[in-house]
Parts: sequence; C-alpha cells; structure tokens
Amino acid sequence: MALGPRDRVVGLLYVDGDLRVGGVIEGELEITGDLEVEDAATIKASVAARQVSIRGQVSGPVVARKRLVVSRSGSLIGDVQVPRLVVQDGATFSGNVSMTALSDAPPKAPVVEATPVEAAPVEAAPVAAIAPAVETVVAPTDGAAATSSRTARKVNKSSKGKPAPTKGKPKRR
Amino acid sequence: METQEIVATTEHAESKRDGQKKIVLGPNDSLEGKLVYDGHFQVDGGRAEGEFRVGGNIDIGPNTTVKALLEASNVTVKGEVEGRLTARDKLTIGKSGRLNGDVQARRLQIEDGATLNGYVRMGDIEQQAPGS
Repeated sequence: MALGPRDRVVGLLYVDGDLRVGGVIEGELEITGDLEVEDAATIKASVAARQVSIRGQVSGPVVARKRLVVSRSGSLIGDVQVPRLVVQDGATFSGNVSMTALSDAPPKAPVVEATPVEAAPVEAAPVAAIAPAVETVVAPTDGAAATSSRTARKVNKSSKGKPAPTKGKPKRR
Repeated sequence: METQEIVATTEHAESKRDGQKKIVLGPNDSLEGKLVYDGHFQVDGGRAEGEFRVGGNIDIGPNTTVKALLEASNVTVKGEVEGRLTARDKLTIGKSGRLNGDVQARRLQIEDGATLNGYVRMGDIEQQAPGS
C-alpha cells in the first residue's frame, strides 16, 4: 500500500502489510509489515510496525518490532522502542531510546478493542444490598407468581390508598 | 593539575599528526577520577571511570568498559559506555557499541547492531563549564 505526496490520513490507520508514505499522516499508525516514510512525507502519529525506515519527518512515538532506520534526510522526534536502531549521519533524532528485544508477533487488528470491565466486583456489594428492591421490580410486571404477589402486597401497603403501580419502577430508596 | 600528572605518568601520551596531544589507555591501563584535557582521549581495552572532558575526541574501543561522564568534540563508542555523554560535534556508536545513558550531540550516527538506552537530544550544545 502506498500513499502519495498529495494523500493525507487523519485518524487511525491500520495496514495489514507494508506501507509507503509520501504524504501526511496524523493520528495513529499500525502496520503489520514495514513502513517507509519518504522524503516529502510528514507523520505526526504514534507508529508501530515491523521495520521502519524514515527519510522524511516523523514526530511521535515509534515502536519497531525489528528495526528502525533514520536516514540522513530523516528527522524523528519521539520516543523509540526498538531492538535494532540505525541512525545515519545527518539525520535528526530526539527522544528516549529503549532497546530491548520485542516479540516479533504482529499486532492484532484493532477491532474496537473491548475495554475490560473492572468495576464488576465493586458493584457486586451494592447490588446485593438493594436486592429486595429488585424483587419489587419484578412484582408489578408479573402478578401471577406467588412470591411476586406477596411483594406486590407489600407495595400496596406502602403506597397507602393509591392503587399499586403496575409498571412504574419502585423507588430504590 | 591532574591532567599534568596523567600526562607525566602515562607511557601512552603522544603527539598526533594534527599536533593535538593524545592519551591512550591500553588493556593494562586504568584511570579513575576526573580528567580535563586539551587533546584526544582513547580507551582501548583499558578501564576508565569518572569524568572526562576533553577538547579533542574521545574514542572508546571494542572490549572496553567506561563508566563516566564524557564530553568531547567527537565521541566514538565501540565498547560499552555507562553515563552521560556530550558530543560537541558528532557521536558515533559503532556496531559493537553499547551505550547506557543520556546523550547530547550535534550530529549522531548509530550503526546497525549498536545498543542504546537513554534519552537522545540533538542540536546545539549548551556549554557546561569544564571542571564544574
């Protein structure tokens, strides 16, 4: 895949394969293969790829699973995480470098990543506390069940005079 | 003072063709402490620890470990360096080089195979007062 000098991407770009960029990319860039940033290209994005070669301008964090090359015409401003790094004389580079062997596995496609629900155990306790209220929720909608009718009577008692609400949610407090 | 002592005691001080003095630490040499020197400084197999600020170049050869704060015009790392490093002109990390520490250089060249962990800043060097 290639983006020419007049092409522009703003947002999240995921490419299964290689990408050659001659234009502008802003946002987030994830590539399973190799990324080539040509002389005229400008990238303002976080970049993840197998191999990254920079001849243009890149600003943003770069993660290369295999190798990062900043050529003499290239400029990179951003933190870098790579197992192998080549910076040619003349290149511009500023940022933190962390060189450790990364796994070579390509990233999974970002299929609207499900954010893990961490709140569940915290919510468990309050739910238990209002359990009776939950019972009364069931009651008005299903009067046939024995247990429900019992709770329905309770509701009748509490709402003196007025007819028992058949559908409205009982107050939780 | 220290500079003169080192020049006096080292067998390896010599004049280069460009007229600049040079200290070479060979495999059996070691230097611990602070060196402010107007020539080149080369560690080739020797051990060096401390703070080295030289007017010329610093060369760290292969199979050499240096733990120091380094400042020079050109710095070439082919061995292992731990510490802050400032190259007023150019820093070269060779393919066998390993550098752990923050780096400031006007020009930077990193060869394939080199290892670098630290913060890199490029651009004009703010002068640190030597000997401070």
